[in-house]
This record gives sequence, structure tokens and C-alpha cells, in this order.
Amino acid sequence: MMSTKAFTLVSAVERELLMGDKERVNIECVECCGRNLYVGTSDCFICHFLLEEKTLPAGTATFTATKQLHRHLGFKKPVSELRAASALNRLLVLCDNSITLVNMLSLEPVPSGARIKGAMALALNENPVNGDPFCVEVCIISVKRRTIQVFMVYEDRVQIVREVSTPEQPLAVAVDGHFLCLALTTQYIILNYNTGVSQDLFPYCSEEKRPIVKRIGRQEFLLAGPGGLGMFATVAGISQRAPVHWSENVIGAAICFPYVIALDDEFITVHSMLDQQQKQTLPFKEGHILQDFEGRVIVATSKGVYILVPLPLEKQIQDLLASRRVEEALVLAKGARRNIPKEKFQVMYRRILQQAGFIQFAQLQFLEAKELFRSGQLDVRELISLYPFLLPTSSSFTRSHPPLHEYADLNQLTQGDQEKMAKCKRFLMSYLNEVRSTEVANGYKEDIDTALLKLYAEADHDSLLDLLVTENSCLLIDSAAWLEKHKKYFALGLLYHYNNQDAAAVELWVNIVNGAIHDSTRADLYEYVVDFLTYSSNQELVWKYADWVLQKSEEVGVQVFTKRPLDEQQKNSFNPDDVLTCLQKYPKALVKYLEHLVTDRGLQREEYHTHLAVLYLDEVLQHRPGASSKGAEVTETQAKLRHLLQKSDLYRVHFLMERVQRAGLPMESAILHGKLEEHEKALHILVHELKDFSAAEDYCLWRSEGRDPPYRQQLFHTLLAIYLSPGPSAPELAVAAVDLLNHHATEFDATQVLQLLPGTWSVQLLCPFLMGAMRDSIHTRRTTQVALGLAKSENLIYKYDKMKLKGSSIRLSDKKLCQVCQNPFCEPVFVRYPNGGLVHTHCATSRHTNPSSPSPGART
Amino acid sequence: MKKPDGKIVLLGDMNVGKTSLLQRYMERRFSDTVSTVGGAFYLKQWRSYNISIWDTAGREQFHGLGSMYCRGATAIILTYDVNHPQSLVELEDRFLSLTDTASTDCLFAIVGNKVDLRENGAAESQEKEGCSPGLAGAGCASPKVPKQVQLEDAVALYKKILKYKMLDEKDMPAAEQMCFETSAKSGHNVDLLFETLFDMVVPMILRQRAQGPPQTVDISNYKPPKRTKSGCCA
Repeated sequence: MMSTKAFTLVSAVERELLMGDKERVNIECVECCGRNLYVGTSDCFICHFLLEEKTLPAGTATFTATKQLHRHLGFKKPVSELRAASALNRLLVLCDNSITLVNMLSLEPVPSGARIKGAMALALNENPVNGDPFCVEVCIISVKRRTIQVFMVYEDRVQIVREVSTPEQPLAVAVDGHFLCLALTTQYIILNYNTGVSQDLFPYCSEEKRPIVKRIGRQEFLLAGPGGLGMFATVAGISQRAPVHWSENVIGAAICFPYVIALDDEFITVHSMLDQQQKQTLPFKEGHILQDFEGRVIVATSKGVYILVPLPLEKQIQDLLASRRVEEALVLAKGARRNIPKEKFQVMYRRILQQAGFIQFAQLQFLEAKELFRSGQLDVRELISLYPFLLPTSSSFTRSHPPLHEYADLNQLTQGDQEKMAKCKRFLMSYLNEVRSTEVANGYKEDIDTALLKLYAEADHDSLLDLLVTENSCLLIDSAAWLEKHKKYFALGLLYHYNNQDAAAVELWVNIVNGAIHDSTRADLYEYVVDFLTYSSNQELVWKYADWVLQKSEEVGVQVFTKRPLDEQQKNSFNPDDVLTCLQKYPKALVKYLEHLVTDRGLQREEYHTHLAVLYLDEVLQHRPGASSKGAEVTETQAKLRHLLQKSDLYRVHFLMERVQRAGLPMESAILHGKLEEHEKALHILVHELKDFSAAEDYCLWRSEGRDPPYRQQLFHTLLAIYLSPGPSAPELAVAAVDLLNHHATEFDATQVLQLLPGTWSVQLLCPFLMGAMRDSIHTRRTTQVALGLAKSENLIYKYDKMKLKGSSIRLSDKKLCQVCQNPFCEPVFVRYPNGGLVHTHCATSRHTNPSSPSPGART
Repeated sequence: MKKPDGKIVLLGDMNVGKTSLLQRYMERRFSDTVSTVGGAFYLKQWRSYNISIWDTAGREQFHGLGSMYCRGATAIILTYDVNHPQSLVELEDRFLSLTDTASTDCLFAIVGNKVDLRENGAAESQEKEGCSPGLAGAGCASPKVPKQVQLEDAVALYKKILKYKMLDEKDMPAAEQMCFETSAKSGHNVDLLFETLFDMVVPMILRQRAQGPPQTVDISNYKPPKRTKSGCCA
């Protein structure tokens, strides 16, 4: 495994400074509190040093210790433990099974002589339950067998608060709140000294190795387990972190977040609590003390004191990133979250994510890179700027300093490998496409869209067109030059259009259609241009290219006039006369346009209708000689002509009649006669010239549309008369007459018809007609009878009302008052309302409404 | 560090493939693993819950840690090697007692791993077992009989466990549902195993949340591990 450099080992107290020439004196214990360093020795001395930290220009720290005082405790035993209680300005000294309180500065014992006797080991509660700031809680392993005692230590007195017995002899203790974490002879346990409840953790063998019990934070301890494991356990007896793997002969452990540091005979090892991996190994012989004091880690041999100086976290992370160990760097950074102020952390962490993203990117790990860029809120331009020429020339972007990566550009990153380059470009395409509509793009939309356009154009990507036809922020100048370079002229046109330069767009497209420049993006570009002009509100532009589109195809080209959007037609539309003038050269287009005016828009102008009819007529006539060959087409035009002649009332009938008659078009003349109400002439043509009896019938129906029944009857009778009139084709016409009568029985006045019919016709022949006529007659009779009955009954109702009103007499006396003026009647003349109210005649004329009831007709 | 909402612990004799199973599921790969030291764990996000999965060391040396790992567990996966009947026996003899510290409604899954070796590797593993002096005496009277663990054996163990835990079979998932045969090498049934468990664990997490903090579970009526402890450092 590659190692991290998390700590450097520096000397703090040289051996000469400590014990001069006393060869056999050993360091037994150390304590560090702020700048105060205390050393307890085997010859019962306490030495006090002041530590001064200096940072060398290279960034590493050094320490110099200045000796303040040293003091002999007056025993012949070694000083076994030292603990500072800075709030009390006291140092707790364990020596010869007795804990004495000495002044932190003078090292003089407190005058009261307060001490704790019979202590084998002690632990300070760093998370005391007692809230008194001028008191520290101390747990001791008592010399009494299987006993733990809890003391409150004040400035100059001590007080025992609790004594608990343990199932086995305790060998080491740590404390947090009410919880004691104990190493017993065969196992570790958690003991709540308040409730006495204990919780086994796990067994170990005290005969084989020294136990380690180390509080590492709120409610969590680190223990030396079997097989050289550093086990984590909470006060609930649960492990929340995986164990770290130390050597079997580990002597001491310390914490310097996020690292667990362990000491054995030969090495100091550093494990991360975040991933349990061993990160660093420092050779260190004959060490026997390893402790951390408020984040400062101190190791000592029996002769010298050293400090493990942590490298700044950022430096560690940068080292990891520099060796491409992204995962570890991120874990370390994340783990540092709670040790760094929030704002500072966020800035730092974001930057690390970005750097990590570029590392992944350089290894073409795009998925990972994308996620890192996203979570690191990378300024997208950092990424774009790696690709040469993608950022618009106008962009104000400069890369962040210090740089997020070591690459000048993509060429350097891929070392010219075209395949890699293409992959990177594809990634950027998808990435930009994803972010362009998110808040990541805020403020840089131009840069992103322009870059995306360039990538698409270069890669001949379909999305180029989508980008340009939807909302985008592509910068015109940059994009135009790039599209031109890559011969994306159609797209360039779209770009011009998006930037309100339709004239330039159309000019470009027309050039493509004409073959002046080449771009095969759209095979139907001509139709596209027509469509574009159709929907363009720029009239000038439409006029400019009207001739061009019409020359290409009259039928399609004319759409620029005929298919214009509806809302535009309603306001400032093209003047039809201008269009007609323009279309003079294009007959087919002209017809289409007139049809559009007459049929689609329903313009009621005589010229258009007549003009269209004349054009139809011309075409009909033109095709007449070869009628047999182009039959279908002629009839189509002819049908249109007839339809127009029938439906329109606006054309000049006489003008057309003349031409139609000259041309010899009987059907059309019949229609025109019809328009002039010359029904006999029309029917005559239909019956005699064309012998088209169904047309004659249709004519009757057509002309009688919307007219009253007598008019209709008149028409049918006219036709019947023509059929029945004597002539050379009389028998044929007789059949037609019979059919007419039988089919349209109701259109005739039967009595009149019967008089007209020759007596020779059998009843059988006219059976349907007669039956129809009879039924009609009977029906009429019956409905009349019903109407009569209804009228009679209505009359009866009125009579009844009249009788009722007249029925009763009215007595006029002095007591009756006019309901309007409340005066008595003086004359025998009055007006009576239907509700019985009596009023003066003059009152009734002055007041038209009933005086006392809501409506005159209401009966009370 | 995110606090996990539920805990799943893998238990089983050494070399049955606990680490491989977990690696196959979490990292979608299979590679030779070294013997696990102590334990390791993964956090798995399942829906909106964080579930920690503990891989334990099967070696006898670390046996004493088992109880602690199992404390408050929502589910325990007891793993054996289908080609080594003794590994199933060990589950009952050695590992079952470790689970006393688990949550009272803890789920149990019994997993026979290494099914990929069952057919072709049968003879070979047979031989090995025959040579191993430690296992020879245990229960293999005739080495000719194909000595492989069948699913029924696991089902029987599952029912035994419920009895041992004094749980009613009706309240617990059916044995068929909780006994798996897997191959970490091929990935056979591995996703099924973990995801079935996750789906079962989620409602338990909700129930535990409703009941209050899990720390209050069973410190008071806790005694049995005394038994296992004495066996270790005697």
C-alpha cells in the first residue's frame, strides 16, 4: 500500500535538557496542557517545560522546550502518572499509590495537603456529569481488590463520591459520563457507576498482553483486542467502526482525528478511522509512552520526549490527490468536516471535489468525473477551457488559481491520442447538454451554448440543429465563424434566423439550393425555404424571394402567399392585387392564388371571381382539342369551373355567357342561364341539347335552394312542361317525365299535373307519383284538421275567460274607494282590473299599472 | 459519520466466504480475499435508510468479538460452505450463542455459499476433508458418501434456531424464505440474499424507531455470553 504522510516526528525535549548527566534516570510519564509540558521521572522528579512552536519556512513545525522548574516529590518511587487540571491550576501526581495535588506553576503541594490514597491508576473524566467547572472528576483503580473509586477533586480538597466493585480485578480504566470502560483480568466491560449495570464487551487475555483503554470521544472508547486489533466500542457495547489492525505487541494508542496512532517496540503506526487503512509507519525504537493531549500527540522513550506534528489536512489531501488517490482524499476531506468551520470546509471540499473530478477526467473515468464536477459545483468553463478554441473569444474566463489540474489543454492530456480526444469531446457534449438547462449554467450560458455548438458542428452531430431551433445563447460571431469553417451552412442559416437576421439566413439557404455552396443537411431545403417564407412576417423578404421560389416550382412556391398563417391574414396581409401582379408570369400559381382568395378566404370581389372563372375556362378550352388524351384533367378543371359558376354570385355573368356560348359549352351555359333566372333556356339546353335528365333535375333542386315552395314547384312544372311538350324525341322525354313525377311527387301540384298528362298513361305507370300525391294530400288534410281543432279549443278558452269576467256584477257605493287615489266614486263610471280592483277612469289613464297587485293579469 | 439505522452481521466459520459474499454484493466483483482480521463493515443505502453490514472474522482467535458485533443487530446471516458439512455444524455449536446479544426480533438467514464448487469440486473437497485430521473424527463415518450440505439441512437448522430463541415459527419468516444457497464467485443468489434481507429489515427499523432508541434494548436481561467467554482464554 502506498503511504500517506500524515505526521512528522520532531523532538521536543532532548535528553540532556531533561536529566543532564544522570544516566540511569528514565522518563515515566508525561503531561501536556497548552504550552506546559510536564515530565515525571523514575527518580521522583517532576520537570516543567514551556513549549514553543515555530514553523520553518518549509512549512514544518519545530518545538523548543525551555525548562521552568523541577521538583522532587520526596519519595523514592517513580512518578507513575501526571494529570493537569488547568481549571483548578493543579497538577495531579500519582506516585507511590498516592495522588497529590500540586500547583501547576510552582509545583508546590497544596497547603491543605489534600490527597487521594490507595490509587493504582487514575483517569480524568473529560465528559463529567457534574457541571461544576471548579471541580474535576477522577476515577481511580483502588489498591483495594476489585474496586473503582470516583472522586471529586477541588482546588485544595478531594471528596469520594462513589465506590463500585468489579467482577474481576481492573487493570486499566477510562471514563465518559457515568460510564467506566474497564480492562478486567479476562475481558473488557462497560460499567455504569451510577446504576451499577455492566455490559461485557469482549474477552482478552491480560496475561499475554497489556490492555489499552482509551476514550476517543463522546461515549466511545478504543480498546486493544485479540490479534493486535484496535477495537472501537460505544458505551452501549456496540462497535460503530471497523477495527484497525495493529501489531500484536502494541503498547499505547492515541487519537488525532481522523487518525488512530499506535506505538509498539519499533514503530509508530498511523491508521485512518475513516477507512481503517494503515496510512503511515514511522520507525521509533524503545518508545514506551504515546498519549494525545487536546490534539497534540506526544511519544516518549525513557530518555526523550517527541511530538508527532500532524501535517495540515489540506496538505495531506493535496498529497493524496497528487498521487491520484482520489477515494482516500475524499474520505479524508469528508472526515474533516467536523473539525473545520463550515464555510471554510465547504470551500475546501468543493475545490477537492473539483480536483478529484479532473483526475478522474484525465483517466477518462467520465461517470465519476461528472459526479465530482456536479457535487463540486465546478465552473463549467474550467472544463471547457481544456478544449482548445471552444470558449468564445469574448469570454472573460480565466482559470482558477492555484490551478485545479496540471493540464494546459486536451492535447497535452491525451498526448495527441485521437481516440481519447474524441471520447473527451463526446463526454463534454453530453455534460454540457445536461448542465445547460440547470443552475450550473447561470451566468455562463453563452460560453456553454457556444462551446456545445462548436462540438456538435465539429462532430457533425444531429443535435446541432435542435440546439439552434430551440432557445439558446450561442454567440453569433464566434458560432458563425465556426459553422462556416465546418461548412454547416444550413445550421448557420438557423443561427442567423435565431439572431433575427432572416435575410442573411434565406440568402444562405438559397445559395445552397442553387448549388453555389454545398451543405447536404436537408434534401428538402427548397420546401424548407418556402415554408420559412410562408411563416416569415418580413414582407420585404418574401417579395425578394417570391420570383425565386415561383421559378423553382409554381405550385409549391405559391404557398408563400396562399398558406400564410391565419392571424397574419387578418391584419396587415399582403395586398392581393400586388400578389396577382407578381403572379401574372406564373399561370398555375395564379390559379392557385385566386382559388385561395375565392375559396379559402371567401373574398367577395367580382374581379377575382370573374378572373378565376375565365382562367378555368381558358384552361378547359386549351385542353379541349386533345380532350381524349387528357380527359381526367379537363374534367377536373371543368368541374372546378362549374362549381365556381354555380356557387359564386359575384362573377360577371353576361361577360362569361358570351365566352361560354362562343366556346360551345352547353352545361356551363345552362348554369349561367340559371344564374340569370332564365330557367326555360337552361332546362331546354339540359334536356334537348345535353339530354341529361338527371342534370335537369339537379338544376331544379339547385336553383330552388333556399327559395319558397311555390318557386320550387314552378321550376319542376317548367321541367315537366318541357318533357311533355310535343317534339321529335317525345317518347324518350315521356319516360323522363314519368321518372321525374315518380321521384319528386311532392314537388308538384297533383291537380295541375293530372290536367297536363295525356289521358293514355296508365295509373300503373304513375303509381308512385299518385300514391305520393295522395299521401301528401291526405297528410295536408289531417294536419289542417288538427290545426282547426286546436284553434277551436283555443277559442273556447278565451270565451270561458270572457264569460268569467263578465259573470259577476259590481256594486258601486260610497264605501268603495278608488284603489289609486283612495277617493270615493262620484260618477257611475269606473275601470275594473281583472283582479277586481276598481279605479276612476282618470286614475286608470294616469297609472297604467295595476295599483295593488304585482301584475294586471294575476287572479287573487 | 452517518449513524446506521440497522445492522446486519455476517457470521460463520473461517473460509466459508463471508467477505467474498459481501464483496460480490457491494463491489460486484469476486477476487481472492485474505483472511479477515477482526472485522470490516460497509454502509449500504437502501431506500432512505443506512444499513451497516458487518463482515466478521471467522478465525477462532477473533471469536470473542462476535458478541459485540452482534449486539443490537437487526439481522444475522449465518454462513456455511455447502461443501463442508462441518461448517454448518459450527454455526450451531460456536456461532449461535454469539447472537444472544442481537436485537430480540432479530432475523436469521442461513446461507450455503460456494455452490459453484458443488458438482465438479465435490470429489476434491472430499479428499481434502478426509486428510484433515481435525475434521476427520467429527462426524464423517464413511468418506464415500457424498458429503455435501443439502438445503434441507439448513432449513432444519433454521427451525432449530427459532426453537433455541424460543420464537414462534408463525411470527418469523418461513424457513424456505430465509435459507439461501449462493455463490459469491458466480454471483448466484447474492443480490437476492441481501435485498430480501434489506426489505425485511426496513419495517423493523421503523418499528424500532417507534419504540425508542435501540440502546435501551437488552442490557438488563443480559447474561448468556459468560459461557462463551470462558471457552476462549481458559
